[in-house]
Formats: sequence, structure tokens, C-alpha cells
Amino acid sequence: MSESNAFRLTRRHFLGTVAGGIALMAAGPSFAQSKTLQVLSHRVHQTSLGEGDKDLLADWKQDHDTDVVFTTLDSNPLMDRLFREASLAQTDFSVGYMVDNRPTSDNAKLFESLQEYQDKDPIEAFDDIAAGLVRGMTIDGRLIGIPVRTATQGLFYNEELLAEAGFDAPPTTLEELVAQTIAISEHGKATGMILASDLAVFPVMFARAFGGDFINSDFELLPDPAAMESALTVLADMFQKGALPRSYATNKGEELLTWMQQGRAAFCVLPFARAAQLNDPAVSNYAGKIKAIGFPISETLKGKAEMSAVVEAWAMTIPANAVDKDLAWQFIKEVSSKKNTLGMALNGNGPARVSTFLEPELTAKNALAEIESQVLSNARGAFPPFAEAARAQQIFIEEVQLAVLGRKSPQDAVAAMQTRIQPLLPA
Amino acid sequence: MRAERILVNAGKTLAVLLLLVWSLFPIVFIITSSFKPGREIFAVPPQWLFEPTFDHYITLWQRWAVFFHGLLNSTIVTIGAAALAVVASTCAGYVYSRYSSRWLGASLLSLIAIRLIPPIVVTLPLFPIVNNLGLADTHFILSVLYATFFVSLGTVLMRTFVDQIPRELDEAASMDGATLPVILWRIIMPLAAPGIIAVAVFVVVFAWNEFLFAFIFTSTKAKTAPLVISEMIGSIEGVDWGVLFAASTIQLLPVLIFVMLMNRYLVAGLTAGATKG
Repeated sequence: MSESNAFRLTRRHFLGTVAGGIALMAAGPSFAQSKTLQVLSHRVHQTSLGEGDKDLLADWKQDHDTDVVFTTLDSNPLMDRLFREASLAQTDFSVGYMVDNRPTSDNAKLFESLQEYQDKDPIEAFDDIAAGLVRGMTIDGRLIGIPVRTATQGLFYNEELLAEAGFDAPPTTLEELVAQTIAISEHGKATGMILASDLAVFPVMFARAFGGDFINSDFELLPDPAAMESALTVLADMFQKGALPRSYATNKGEELLTWMQQGRAAFCVLPFARAAQLNDPAVSNYAGKIKAIGFPISETLKGKAEMSAVVEAWAMTIPANAVDKDLAWQFIKEVSSKKNTLGMALNGNGPARVSTFLEPELTAKNALAEIESQVLSNARGAFPPFAEAARAQQIFIEEVQLAVLGRKSPQDAVAAMQTRIQPLLPA
Repeated sequence: MRAERILVNAGKTLAVLLLLVWSLFPIVFIITSSFKPGREIFAVPPQWLFEPTFDHYITLWQRWAVFFHGLLNSTIVTIGAAALAVVASTCAGYVYSRYSSRWLGASLLSLIAIRLIPPIVVTLPLFPIVNNLGLADTHFILSVLYATFFVSLGTVLMRTFVDQIPRELDEAASMDGATLPVILWRIIMPLAAPGIIAVAVFVVVFAWNEFLFAFIFTSTKAKTAPLVISEMIGSIEGVDWGVLFAASTIQLLPVLIFVMLMNRYLVAGLTAGATKG
């Protein structure tokens, strides 16, 4: 072995190089900017605020000499991360977006009470933000989030498939809807309706059409069991008559758009905001022919009660352990302004302000804005948040599937829901 | 007899074909779908002949620039993890091969035992520690974590390789004045190259695709490509399948090419010592 070889790599050189490399990699975070507001959200919240020349926050950023950095994740991972960050001694995230079915008495304590901020430095026309959404983010009397986004469920229908089956208008009652789905399936070109079996939204909508519910805001389980039985009976009948696909038990939420775009189903329940994708000629075979209405109520209740559709809302929160809470409030104030609520709505965001739906700019761009506004006025979440909500939803879905597939009678399924879910509800 | 042989061969061919279809169908479907017009991706009946389009790749570039940043992060983290794992596994493999003691034997067992622990068990307790150390959202922490989970397997693999290198070579080099690092660098590493490549392949495939650690420990600066892809599957806006398949194709190709190029060494690495008496 030559002398030069012996000196090419000494232990000291080797260890020094490794230590230097590690130090260089570890030094990465020190390059971060000095005044930055870190926001934890879904990507849709970031994109609705616009980018580049269309950045709705451009002036605010300049005025506050602040860069806003979004960390985006999908819904469930986002909620996991938000609660985990909020439980640390300190978090870099000053604003976190939270969906309204997550805050409970326990985890709400991890977030600032925003009423004090609102009293000191109020959000413009706060009363204009839908009261029901504000109530949903008020936990044990503490306002922990400012609503910023809504996704209200509507009934989408393919008018061409309806016409081919002999219907010139969408249904006005649940019974008409069921009859149309069965007739369309019998016509043979498409399945009457596509529903995802892994989400509680759909059976809840059917139960509400009969005046019932899954769990109401007072944590009352199946407040009207007969209504839930009627809903399951209707769904089971639809499945048996081919108005729901044979693959019902395996249909997931992500597939609904594709089924409608391909013309494989004539009806579907989706948030109103999906109208753009359903009618996008690049991906839809029925662009311009997929319309939406509010989900119809049963004829037994028509004129006597209002249909309450399911709505999901997102709100902006400030973790109690955040580093710059005042700056976070300024951000929330700016995003919640009337101007930015409209700007976000034009970018496809479901507004939390009632007045935004009536803005001419929005109604000109979104033909469904007025219908959505009407549906939203009486909408509420699929069920209220509580610690065991995920398990309760899973059991509910399981029993619904058994009833729809004919493996259990609707009465037995409802009885099982009561027995299995009641112990999970808050005392 | 001849007819029987033909039947057996036909059966074998059919089995191989079925296996190929089973394995390749998802990959072919993803890649072809990324070039299909959006309306044809899930068309019923499926459209096997279509006019290819780069629209999804263009949309990916325009709307999901963060994905390409994620790819860069994935590359940095993967290279870092592979380098760390290879160096640590080679050094440790050498020690376990050339030295023996009761403690060394016990430590080798503990290495294997650690490998059996599900990653989630250590991940969540690490979260506050990593945050307090200011290492969250750095390439460094991901590289170290990925390497750590493969050092045990890598060490066992490298020990098998080093076992096959005659000790006389170390001794001759030592007599010539070579220090231990030089012996490792000049003698062991070149002769154990297939093993090093096998370890590197394992780490690269794992680090390139890993989701859990990246999800827990990164935010923006070190966010890897699998995290961005998971956002594309998110249900809030509806899935843009064409863009998703374009991203999956780009995510898939580098590691697929790497594994195909290294396949020869990987087989050698995995079978090392298999026939040792």
C-alpha cells in the first residue's frame, strides 16, 4: 500500500467530513425568513386566496411586511397535525384551518378564544358570517374559529339522461327522486344514482328528507327512528331495483365525480362547488348538462318543514401555543373581509358570508350561487363533533350498508345503531 | 412424454404471463392514463387506443409546482439516507464480521429486534423532541430516520458480504501500513460493492416512497413528493386523475429505473452467503 493511499482518507478526515455534512444539513432552518406567518391548511384554502398577480393578500403582506407560508395537507392528516402542533409547548403555526366536525370540549382548549380579539379589533360585518357556522365553532361558550369556507351538499342530475328516460324536470320530492332513479336504471343507459358507501353524508340526507337525523346538535341519537327506517327502506329498495350500482358497498367518495362525468349515473349528491368539474369539457362527457338543485324533502313533509342539507365548514383558528397571535388575528381579519370572501368565492371557495352569495360578480360567474345560498340557510353538519365521533360514524355506515344490501332489515339496523352508538355519545 | 413436456411448458408460460399482467397492470395503467385525455381515463369500455396528450404534465407543472420541489426534497433526503445507511452498515458489518465477543453478539440481536419495532411506535414520541431540537422540517432529520431504520438490515447484509472477503487481505494491507479506514475504503468497500448496492437499493426505494415520517416531521422546506401526491388524492376539491397519474408516473420512474439498473447487484446481495457451508 502506497504512502499516498494512506493519507487519502484518515479517520480524522472521515469524521470531520461527516460532522461537517451533518452540521450543514442541520443548519438548514436558520436560512428561514425573519417575519413569516406560518399557516397550516388544506391546499384549497391556499389556492382560493390566489397566487402571484392574483394574490388577494398581496397588499396585506406588504402593509404588514409579512410573508405567509402555507403548509398544506389533506383533510384528515391536516387535523392530526393541527392538534399535534397545538399540543406542543410552542408551535410555529400561528393559524390553523379546522373543519367543523372536529372541535370538542377537550381539544378546543388548545386554541385561543377569539372573542377577545373580536372585541378589541373586530372583523368587518361579523354578523354577516352565517350564524350557524359561528355556533359550530363556539365550544363551551368559547369562539375558537372564524368560519371561512363552506361545502353545502346539493343534488346533481344529468339533464340529458333524465330527458332520455322521459323526464323533463328534476324531482321536487324524495319520492319523485326515487321513481326517477329507478326509471333511469330500467331505461338501461345509466344507473339511477351513485352514492359513496363510506360516508355518512348520504344516509343522513335521506333521513333528513323524512324529518329524521343521525345525531342532532343536542347529541340525541336518531331523534326520529322511524324516519331513519324510512330512509334505509328507500335506499334498500333503490339497491334492489338497480337504481344504486351493484358495486354500492365498495363505491368511495372519490369515484362520484367520475361516474357523473362519464354518464354512468344520472343523480349524485355532492357539494355545489363541484359543478365546475362536473361540467368541465376536458374531463366530462356531459359538460353543461349536469345541473344541481337542493336535495328534495319527502312529499309527506313538503310545505310543512324545510329540508336541512349537510354542510361542512372550515374555520381559521389560532393555536394557544402559537408564536405570533396578534399577527395571526390580523391575517384572519383580512381573509374574512367582505372583499376577500368574494375574491375567494370567485376562485371557487364556498363563502361563509351570507351576503357574498348575492354579489352580482359571483351570481354572474356561478349560476348555482342563489340555490346554494338557499340550501345553506337551513343546512347543518352531518353530526356534531364529539370524542368518539369517528367510531360512531363507522358503526352507522356499517349498519346502513347491511340494510341497503338487504342483509338486515331497516328496523334491525336502526335498533343496532341505537344499541351500539348510544354508549359512545357524550354523557 | 413430449406432449406432457409441451403442456408443462405452456402452463409455466401461462403462469409467468399471469404474474406479469398482475404485476405490470397497475404500472402500465398509471403511465398510460397519464397520457390519456381526461375524459378517456375511466371510459367504459376502456380506451386502449388513444391520442396521447401532455396536458396533465403541463397542468401538473402549472398548478402543482410544489410537487417538483417535493421531488427535489425527496432526492436530497434519499441520497442522504442512502449515504448514511451505506457508511454505517459497512462499518458495522465489518466490525461484526472481523471481531467477536458476547457483547457484539448481543448487540447484533438487539439491532434485529429494533428492526421489528413498528415505525409509528417511535415516530410520535420523537415529534416533540425533534421540534425542540429545531430539526423539524429539515432534510437532515428525514435522512437520519430513514437510514436508522435500515442500518440493522444493512449491517446484517454487509456482515455476510465482508465474511466472504478473506481476512488475509486485511492483514496484508495492515502489514503494508494501511490504517483501518484505508482498509475499509480500499479493500473492503470495492470487494463488497454488490452488498453496498443492495443496501443502497433498499434504502433508496424506502426513502423515495416513505410517507409517515415525512408527514410527521416536515412542513414546507423538506416536504417530499409522496406528501404532495397524497394531497392530490384529497377529496375536498375532487381528484384530478390525469394530473395525479402524471405525478405518480414521474414519482415512479426514477426509482423504477434505478432498481432495474441495480437489479443484478440486488440479486447478488440478497443471495450472498446463501450457499455458505
